[in-house]
Amino acid sequence: MAGTPLRGRRYVVVLLLLGGFGVVLFRLVNLQVLQAAELTMKADRQHQKTVSLEGARGTIVDRHGKMLAMNVDVPSVFGIPTALDSPAKTARYLSPVLHLRTDELERKLRQDRSFVWLARKLDPEQGRRLEQMPMDGIGVVMEGRRFYPKGPLLSHVLGFAGMDGEGLEGIERRYEPLLHGEKRVAVLQRDALGRTVFPKGLAEQTPTPGRSLVLTVDEVVQYIAERELEDAVARAHAKSGTVIVLDPETGAVLALAISPRFDPNVVAVLAPDRWRNRALTDAYEPGSTMKAIVAAAAIEERVMKPTTMVFGEYGHMTVANTVIHDHDKLGWMTFAQVIQKSSNIGAAKTGMALGEQRLYGYLQAFGFGQRTDIDLPGEAVGLLKHPRDWGRRSLASISMGQEVGVTPIQIVTAMAALANNGVLMKPYVVSEIRDAQGKTVKQIKPEVKRRVVSPETARTVTTMLEGVVTNGTGTKAAIPGFRVAGKTGTAQKIDPHTGTYSATQFVGSFVGFTPADHPRLAMIVVIDEPQGEAWGGVVAAPVFRRIGEQVLNYLGIPSGEPVKLALASGRE
Amino acid sequence: MKLLILPLGLCLVFVFVWERVDMVRLGYQIERLKQERIVLERERDELRVKLSALSAPDRIAKIASEKLGMSLPQQGQVIMVRSAPAAPVPQPDAPVEVRVAKHQLSGGAR
Repeated sequence: MAGTPLRGRRYVVVLLLLGGFGVVLFRLVNLQVLQAAELTMKADRQHQKTVSLEGARGTIVDRHGKMLAMNVDVPSVFGIPTALDSPAKTARYLSPVLHLRTDELERKLRQDRSFVWLARKLDPEQGRRLEQMPMDGIGVVMEGRRFYPKGPLLSHVLGFAGMDGEGLEGIERRYEPLLHGEKRVAVLQRDALGRTVFPKGLAEQTPTPGRSLVLTVDEVVQYIAERELEDAVARAHAKSGTVIVLDPETGAVLALAISPRFDPNVVAVLAPDRWRNRALTDAYEPGSTMKAIVAAAAIEERVMKPTTMVFGEYGHMTVANTVIHDHDKLGWMTFAQVIQKSSNIGAAKTGMALGEQRLYGYLQAFGFGQRTDIDLPGEAVGLLKHPRDWGRRSLASISMGQEVGVTPIQIVTAMAALANNGVLMKPYVVSEIRDAQGKTVKQIKPEVKRRVVSPETARTVTTMLEGVVTNGTGTKAAIPGFRVAGKTGTAQKIDPHTGTYSATQFVGSFVGFTPADHPRLAMIVVIDEPQGEAWGGVVAAPVFRRIGEQVLNYLGIPSGEPVKLALASGRE
Repeated sequence: MKLLILPLGLCLVFVFVWERVDMVRLGYQIERLKQERIVLERERDELRVKLSALSAPDRIAKIASEKLGMSLPQQGQVIMVRSAPAAPVPQPDAPVEVRVAKHQLSGGAR
């Protein structure tokens, strides 16, 4: 029976082996089946890194592709207070690079938090200095910062983007959905050293950048407008000023300048009042510039002809127990002279001849009391009351530009309609939307709003408005060698304390277009609260001339007058 | 025949392993190149901002007037000269405009 103990031992070995395999199997099932979900998660946490990626914000360029706003990745510095040995030492070390006070930095670093921003969106140069001084508990991440390389140029139109890259004002706000890049969370595989290993689905992880915008604005025209406006506002010691230059044929905005200017790179320190786009948001009583529109309505309705005789009442007329005055004691004059001399009484009589409904109809048609729908945020509708709410004096008042509130963009758009053979265009600032590769996604075409007067009426009124510049109140707007049509306006502001017209606060303006025979520029100049002489013909008309002659020259628009040159001895 | 199967099998295993290793290597390379691209793009963007800031009309006008003593052309100093255009002519009535400074025409001093 020698085989029995041997067999017994064999069984023991088999049993031990089976037991061993059993343990392994049990462990395997435990790890692979029972704990599978939890362990996979744990492993993924070690291998994978989740990063949030954001496509770059789109750029904004002028009509010739000159850069006006773009994003650059810049460093932001954060601290991990719990990982710091000596917050005081770190603060002293960082202070000169971050341009922050040591005690302020130390206070941040002593907080009982695991993450704290120390400084965001620094200059690239600061980032390079930080790279050379690695420290435990301090980290640097790159974030897109919006740069406006031209500084204050066009700032009221461009607006600005906030710290997190969201458009807060101007075009940045209006086109926010197009400009901002796609935000995406991506998962990367990393190795033991934390390096990224071949990522899964490489292509789909790159977020799409935002769309880029091409503006109708010309950087040089804008610069000319801003420089001349700043100069005029400073000379008149005025509160503010506005200039808008349009292409009357298309409604494209070539320049929109507001004074005082601001630098969108440093908005944080400015009051909101500084970045408000007054050209769209602030309605004012236009005063005599309105007479150009009333004249167009009267000519179109055949109520008046340029040669129709109007009696000026020697500068004194009673309407609804109030007196309307004229600057000069005018007697009989033609309707053309009414506009040329900017007679209030003549304009009031024109309005009365038109009647409430017709006057209201034309003002509406020219776009008053409604938005121009320009593609910029914050546009005001202005004020145009319905005739049922008019008082006994309203017809006369409105005809001379009182009792109505208009924005500069409304009045220049209306004037541009006269320059455009009577067709009202929608003003616009963005002409093209492009993708990140520069391919056109959408071309924005000029948009006709409606015909407001016939081409004949537009031509007749243009001739009358040329008279304003050659012989009337707007002679200072005359550009030698070019025909200019336009209208001056001087309006008293309403004193907020008394609710009546102020004797000291005025708005001087000039709105017109040139060359009158083939208009290329329609422009408004508004000077708010000039000190001293406040007449539109004195404070605003010269600005029109200075901007006009430089822009015509820059655009290479030939003068209507042939220039005779005396050439020396036939040498050319 | 049997002698061939073993080396062939080994070759297949090597090819498979080599392929996996190379994929990881290329992954690292792609990652490094991506980082390089990001740095270069950042540098390009910084230069673009710098270029735009340097070509701002404000700055150019200041240099022109203060450093170079230039001034805006005065009334009558810029003259459009109508010259007969070379073919093709877009509109027979619209001659091409050429801008010439006056002193050049009259053979001026500078």
